[in-house]
Amino acid sequence: MSRQVTDGLRGSASRNGEDRLWMGRGATPRREHLRESVITNAASTGVRIDRKRLKDLARRSDRPGLRYLALWAFALLAAGMLVWAALDTFLVWPAMFLLGVVTSVPAYSLSHETAHGTAFRTRWLNETVFWFTSLLYGEEPLHRRYTHTNHHTYTWYVGLDSQMPFDTPLDFEGWLYDVSGLSIHRFQLRVLWQLATKRYTALMREVSPESELPKMTRNARLFGLVYLGVGGLIAAGITWPLWFYVLPRLLGGPIMLMFNLIQHAEMQENSPSILESTRTFRTNWVGRFLYLNMNHHVEHHLYPQVPFYSLPRLHEAVADQTPKPDPGFWRTNLDLLSVVVRRSLGRSTRGAWIRQAPHMVTAGGAYERIAKATMQ
Amino acid sequence: MADWIRACAAGDIDEEDLVRWDHQGRTYAIYRACDGFYCTDGLCTHRDEHLDAGLLMGHVIECPLHQGRFDIRSGEAVSPPPCVGLKTYPVKTEHGQVLVKV
Repeated sequence: MSRQVTDGLRGSASRNGEDRLWMGRGATPRREHLRESVITNAASTGVRIDRKRLKDLARRSDRPGLRYLALWAFALLAAGMLVWAALDTFLVWPAMFLLGVVTSVPAYSLSHETAHGTAFRTRWLNETVFWFTSLLYGEEPLHRRYTHTNHHTYTWYVGLDSQMPFDTPLDFEGWLYDVSGLSIHRFQLRVLWQLATKRYTALMREVSPESELPKMTRNARLFGLVYLGVGGLIAAGITWPLWFYVLPRLLGGPIMLMFNLIQHAEMQENSPSILESTRTFRTNWVGRFLYLNMNHHVEHHLYPQVPFYSLPRLHEAVADQTPKPDPGFWRTNLDLLSVVVRRSLGRSTRGAWIRQAPHMVTAGGAYERIAKATMQ
Repeated sequence: MADWIRACAAGDIDEEDLVRWDHQGRTYAIYRACDGFYCTDGLCTHRDEHLDAGLLMGHVIECPLHQGRFDIRSGEAVSPPPCVGLKTYPVKTEHGQVLVKV
């Protein structure tokens, strides 16, 4: 497979991620101007909703989150029992995959929702779940919160958005690097090391309040100790963490990453409109459960104060102002994979079903890199 | 010496809600909490987003943009990203009107 890409980026690779705010050729060079003027949300998109209705949608409750935690615990227990029953047989691999999906996707989703502070009305409950799900997900929670805050402020703006997980346009190599988990695991380890050793990058300092940096270091060291403890147990011959967490997490992680991949892949960089930069997609009740309704991703970026349990109602409320959702999780992912393979082969990149920014659709040939990933 | 200025009618604000009030080139947020009315500066100290689309929970206002939180009684920033508090202003009600001392 030939890789036909012209790197249109300016700047140089960094030693420790300090220069990871890039400006691609598709972007205006007036970065400082953008920083002051752009906040990507409903207002910048031109979507409106009745104020009282929005307040009602944003209202918080502990009950849906607690119910979710109970259901998740039950699902983990059930999948864990399958792994236990299948130990010493080849069926342990599909069982671990199932456990991995049930672990990885909700851990990511809850960590994300609690980063926003919207999962529970009770703050300490929100923060406790935030800490533990971030531990399962693998990223220091406050780093996750502040880089995600930045992602909402500058959604898919090249040089400003701190959560662009892959280079754009996405090609097959980038897809493989992302979906395999190599990219995110490398990123998470780098961030953990930098925070634990107080080697704060320019980006960390830029997006995080200075008073939070010592807490981030404390958390990173605690996370590191927990992960080292898990490794130590396995090295000492106590293998249950391997079968019930490490291998399932590695096997199920790609499903979590495929959910995340289609949030913004093939969408428009540098647009103030969330409708152009972000994708909502359909999924069945299993996907909606695992992903905490975050398939309504356009709606989430329009109004991030709306909690996960109100996103379906928000979707209905703004349906006349938003694009039709892309097809289901698998169809959207398969179509995206088809597009990125054809891009790498130099063929037409028009998708069959998914929404794409106009510049993502080409007749084939070489393509120019627009944005460098900021999460690698 | 600051004066008491009529900002709005008490009935203009729903319970556990807030409204925006602009006065002499400045913008404020006036809240109706369970125990009375409060007033703070209107813009979040983090990214200058107006708090009027935010969610009031008890005595805590949450910014709609990044979910930073402030205590409306003291103006204290209680959840980052904002680290700087909001300025607060005395409020009283007279004959169904909300008066703010600015």
